[in-house]
Amino acid sequence: MGTIAFENVSKTFSGQTEVRALEAINLAIGEGEFVALLGPSGCGKSTLLNLLAGFEKKTEGTLLFDGKTVTRPGPDRGVVFQEAALFPWLTVWQNVIFGPQVQGVSRSEYELKARNLLKLVGLESFADALPVQLSGGMRQRVGIARVLAMSPKALLMDEPFGALDAQTRLSMQQLLLDVWQSLGTTVLFVTHDIDEAILLSDRICVMSARPGRIIRTIPITLPRPRSIASLTSTEFVAYKARIMSDMKVSAAPV
Amino acid sequence: MSISTGPIASGSASSTSTWSALSPVARRNLRQILLAVVLPVLVIVLWQWAGNGGSLFGGVLPTPDRVWQAWKVWAFGTSGLGLNPYSGTWLANLLFSAERVGKGFLAAIVVAVPVGLAIGWNRIASGALDPTVQLLRPIPITAWLPFSIAVFGIRDMGAVFLIALGAFYPIVVNTAQGARDIERNLVRAAMMMGAGRWTILRRVVLPASLPSIFTGLRIGLGIALTAVIVAEMVAVKSGLGYVLWDAYYVGRMDVVIADMATIGLLGLISDRVILGIERWVLAWRRLQSFQS
Repeated sequence: MGTIAFENVSKTFSGQTEVRALEAINLAIGEGEFVALLGPSGCGKSTLLNLLAGFEKKTEGTLLFDGKTVTRPGPDRGVVFQEAALFPWLTVWQNVIFGPQVQGVSRSEYELKARNLLKLVGLESFADALPVQLSGGMRQRVGIARVLAMSPKALLMDEPFGALDAQTRLSMQQLLLDVWQSLGTTVLFVTHDIDEAILLSDRICVMSARPGRIIRTIPITLPRPRSIASLTSTEFVAYKARIMSDMKVSAAPV
Repeated sequence: MSISTGPIASGSASSTSTWSALSPVARRNLRQILLAVVLPVLVIVLWQWAGNGGSLFGGVLPTPDRVWQAWKVWAFGTSGLGLNPYSGTWLANLLFSAERVGKGFLAAIVVAVPVGLAIGWNRIASGALDPTVQLLRPIPITAWLPFSIAVFGIRDMGAVFLIALGAFYPIVVNTAQGARDIERNLVRAAMMMGAGRWTILRRVVLPASLPSIFTGLRIGLGIALTAVIVAEMVAVKSGLGYVLWDAYYVGRMDVVIADMATIGLLGLISDRVILGIERWVLAWRRLQSFQS
């Protein structure tokens, strides 16, 4: 459950000038694996995620989720957006239960789960608050809780902590580590932050831009469970040095 | 000297202390009100002062006190013999007009909001409906008057039709704009959570469009008021527009001006009503962050 397979997937945006966003992407992600897509902005990593989410259509290749061709968005692939994308007219609680509600799940089935999720992300006392009343980090916690309320087979996260201040980002990373540790969902995580990619993932796919392609795949074998304390370990620093040199290669011809 | 300055000094001292006792917000509000009132009061005083024997411009324009007298008779009637045809009919006529505006405006909302959402949200609906709306929109509602009378006769329906038509355009255009400008990720989020097109329209596009829908409603209301007056002048025999034109014909400029003031009042109140509903419906936009 939650397996992902990109086979020679390409994406071209048509328009006045065609843009080759992704070129021959091959990527297989196993059940429960945490994979980070790391690259500079404009390298197509969000496009890759949007293809899997079903928001965009691939131009060439095969894209499978759990062995089936991806045709449109669905609750089996929960997306966490950079700016949370909560419905501003709904309370925290209403945002979290939106998914189960529109899928016709009965109240008795989702209520307890939604309460536990709010507790898990530390927002049980903010159930009746509106998104405008929350900080960026709190909004993103709601964004994660509402996705988990649908029990997705995979989490697709598009730079979810990119807009947060450094300290909030650390606590969100810790939260995500804890949640993933207990749920074991497959995660595809887009980021441009090297530290974040190493800290969270089992495997980092480093991408280059124009056209976007995966230039290197680096398994991260730091012991689990991890915490933000791992950020200062010698192994961590070694990984970081290696990735930084990799990324410099891809950034050379400007 | 000391006797006369005493009360003045203490008076001004006490007013200064009342002023400083007010909170900064209350003081600012009070200052705003005082500033706002200066110009209208000045105009009325000048108008009254320029009047010669109760009127200006050789008897054409009555002074404010005459208008006030006429309005009182119009509103409350006279105790004596009722030769004045307007005596005591103010409220009835106000309600006639308000009812027509209400009916026409509601009809406009019921049609324009769904049509606007469809135009803004669905490419086929947009292609099928938008050109026709844009084609008809430049025709001023006043140009529809003969058509309206021919079709509906000198009856309520004609006025309601004009009001609904006039209010329709701004509501439909603003609703469509709101639906078009919806944040892409909100729609994506809803799709990701398994919502179908109909659910997205109802639970995401509609609420997201509400701010522009209300903009359309407020513009539409202004046009609805124009439409009711024009329609009542020509197409029906009651209401503020009818009284306005009728009073003009019999040379009752005092009633004309009292009527104009009443129309202004009706506009002001109905706009406030919409504003109040908007504040209530869109409360989620105004709340402040817990954080900052």
